[in-house]
Amino acid sequence: MKTITGALRTRAGLTAAIVLAAVLLLTVIGPLLAPYNPLKYSAEILQPPSAAHWFGTDYLGRDVLSRVLAGGPRSVFTAFEAVGIGLVMGVVPGITSVYLGRVYEWITLRVMDGLIALPFLIFAIAVAALLGNAVQQAMLAVGILLAPLFYRITRAAALSHANAQYVTASQLFGASVWLVLRTHVWSKILPTLVVTTANATANGLLIVSSLTFLGVGVVPPEPTWGGIIASDLSYLSQAPYGPVFPALLIMATVGALNLLADAIRDTSGDYGRARILRKRGARRVNLA
Amino acid sequence: MSTLPDSATAVPAAANAAGEPGRETLLSVRGLRVSAADGSELVHGVDFEIPRGSAVGLVGESGSGKTLTCRSVLGLLPVGVEVTGGEISLRGTELTALPAAEWVRLRGTDLAAVFQDPASYLNPSITVGAQLAEVLRVKTGLARRAARSRAVELLHAMGLHRPEHVYTQYPFELSGGMLQRVLIAVSIAAEPELLIADEATTALDVTVQAEVLELLAELRRDRGLTLIVVSHDLAVISQVCDTVHVFREGSIVEAGTTRQVLRAPRHPYTLELIENHERFGIDRVRKQRSQR
Amino acid sequence: MTALLDVSELHVALGRGRKRTEILHGVDLTVAPGEIVGLIGETGSGKTTLARAVLGLVQAQSGTVAIDGREISGLRGGALRAFRRSGAVQYIFQDPLRSLDPERTVFDSLVEGLVVRGGRGRAELQDAAQGVAQLVSLPLDLLSRHPGELSGGQRQRVVIARAIAVDPRLLICDEPVSALDASTRITILELLLRLRESGDVGVLLITHDLGSLGGVADRVVVLYQGQVVETGTTDEIFLAPRHPYTRLLVMSVPSIQDEEPPDPELRRALRDELRSLTANSAQAATRH
Repeated sequence: MKTITGALRTRAGLTAAIVLAAVLLLTVIGPLLAPYNPLKYSAEILQPPSAAHWFGTDYLGRDVLSRVLAGGPRSVFTAFEAVGIGLVMGVVPGITSVYLGRVYEWITLRVMDGLIALPFLIFAIAVAALLGNAVQQAMLAVGILLAPLFYRITRAAALSHANAQYVTASQLFGASVWLVLRTHVWSKILPTLVVTTANATANGLLIVSSLTFLGVGVVPPEPTWGGIIASDLSYLSQAPYGPVFPALLIMATVGALNLLADAIRDTSGDYGRARILRKRGARRVNLA
Repeated sequence: MSTLPDSATAVPAAANAAGEPGRETLLSVRGLRVSAADGSELVHGVDFEIPRGSAVGLVGESGSGKTLTCRSVLGLLPVGVEVTGGEISLRGTELTALPAAEWVRLRGTDLAAVFQDPASYLNPSITVGAQLAEVLRVKTGLARRAARSRAVELLHAMGLHRPEHVYTQYPFELSGGMLQRVLIAVSIAAEPELLIADEATTALDVTVQAEVLELLAELRRDRGLTLIVVSHDLAVISQVCDTVHVFREGSIVEAGTTRQVLRAPRHPYTLELIENHERFGIDRVRKQRSQR
Repeated sequence: MTALLDVSELHVALGRGRKRTEILHGVDLTVAPGEIVGLIGETGSGKTTLARAVLGLVQAQSGTVAIDGREISGLRGGALRAFRRSGAVQYIFQDPLRSLDPERTVFDSLVEGLVVRGGRGRAELQDAAQGVAQLVSLPLDLLSRHPGELSGGQRQRVVIARAIAVDPRLLICDEPVSALDASTRITILELLLRLRESGDVGVLLITHDLGSLGGVADRVVVLYQGQVVETGTTDEIFLAPRHPYTRLLVMSVPSIQDEEPPDPELRRALRDELRSLTANSAQAATRH
């Protein structure tokens, strides 16, 4: 908690948090606010933004604002789902690989190496093709591919603290691995993990948008941000403003997530200290 | 331990020019004040003179200002800490007024220093020989090949066995004592007149410490190197130095010949330091024996 | 009187495969209750490995380690943790800052051993922490601070208090004062002397600095290249060392009573004698 409150005290962190809160609010209550049925066709196709249709209408005459609002949960929550899967599948082996012996460590390392080698989009499309074209399947694929990122980060952090003298001291008191993790290791990994999660969520959102843009995981009439961009793209010459609004929304969300990640990194833990040192102009002095 | 065949030429020419080598003042520090950025004064007007060819000890606990005083002389104060008063003159040249670039030039050729942790002053991914040769090329303008053979000579003079082999080794392959010898070689490569050893033997094993102290004494004897030895350990100072300055909370509380200060301390703090030293340690056992 | 710590014929090898080298070649060592034994050796002599073997942090190849007559070198897993929870053997690290978790308060550190053991309420822990803090003259208002806010001497007192909070029988101190200032060094050494007087605690004081043992240790054990080369009372070792290594060691300790530094020639002669001794023993070893 301390890691996040520290970041909120910076201007960048606060701005990012406000943007994210707004996006989150929109995705939760957005579908209720939608002025029109997002799936309802009308004769007013490819309208420019107006008082009736703030974001205009698409090639089937559907209200873009309503579609963006209705597509929010699909787009954002699926990104959360992917990151959640990645977190669990990466963090648990990441920490335990340091403590549960060489064989286990070797196996987890090789599995993660294998996953790193798979290209994101193609793997997701393949999984969706195999398990049926639904967003859950696609997200499972994305989550699995995010796991190595979390694995690497948590393993590195756990490694650097696993051999700390205070951990040895704790073990000499007879503490179990679990107790050592809870009292000494977890709090040091957390800041790094929060930063990575924020970055990964941003990436996850981009991937979800890319997949839905390509039509993977979502069956057409259903609105998603990526899907809206795709459908409007074909009519760019008639309605150039079409993809602008969903694209802006994706941009703002991803930007805010990355900004927040930076703010947390700068205000917490080792990164924060390093930055402060840099600011003070500390440098190595060559005496030769 | 053998020394360089040309050790006579290693004696700085200026020493010969001075009519009375060893008497003439090499470094003089007058009324030196050092303050931190927040305005608190850390060194409150320190005075001392260092005759050419002498060995002077600065003793005191951490925070006593002994290290800050040395760093002021080297022009290497930590960021935010500044000299706020007094003079530091090396052979009559006022150092505190020097531009930074001039000071850089002085370091190595006129002043040099070795510190407690030798490994952190060497690049771990370059052989120690290459690093020594680089200093020789930059500071003395030797050509590549000449620098190499001079570096091997220096390593040999530092009492390192098989100097050609040591030349090709990386810092991690050498022990703490060997690294400190390499660092001493680096620091005297450009034949400075003054070498500051700031807790240079603190981290070493006692047997290795004895050898490094011996090396310092030898450099002084054979090359006319002037030494400032900074240590918290009275015994180290007493072994190497002829005069000692006792630092306490940013001031010198007592100064004099090592013998006089250690045998007949005048300031109560010096007495306390000596008593603390004899409370535990080998001197306690020896003292008990001599009293029996 | 049975020895508190009885190490006999201890062989320890470190490393894996071809890099495996024997560090300790049959070490014998005893510490009686109420005794301070100094273990002296240079870098690489195996003194830290010996401590780690006694603590069960490295496995012995052969030989025994007994505490209060109980063989402990064979303990593994749960049995080892249970033994550690008894608190019989405690370890004092060289660098107090690194052996204290920077993110936990002094109080948390002081009661860590008791918490691991379990079964104590908050009030009991509070009492225990205040008790040991007073024992090492640590001001009580420091209990809520973090290690970073303490001086070096205060930190080392926290480390010692943390160890004695679990009523140990044996304290193993690895260079407990070499990171400290002269005056702090004295308060810590006096604390060790007081501990010895107050109970039947035995202390194994590991150091590379022979000088620091005078006036502290009752007996001195000299470890050289993984073997005990000399054992004797502190006076015997300091005033009449027999083994060439001990003689070299004693001669190398600077003294404020010597007018002249020790004769380099004499030291060189001792070095040569040592070298031929080790060469002989290496020959003897290959002949077997």
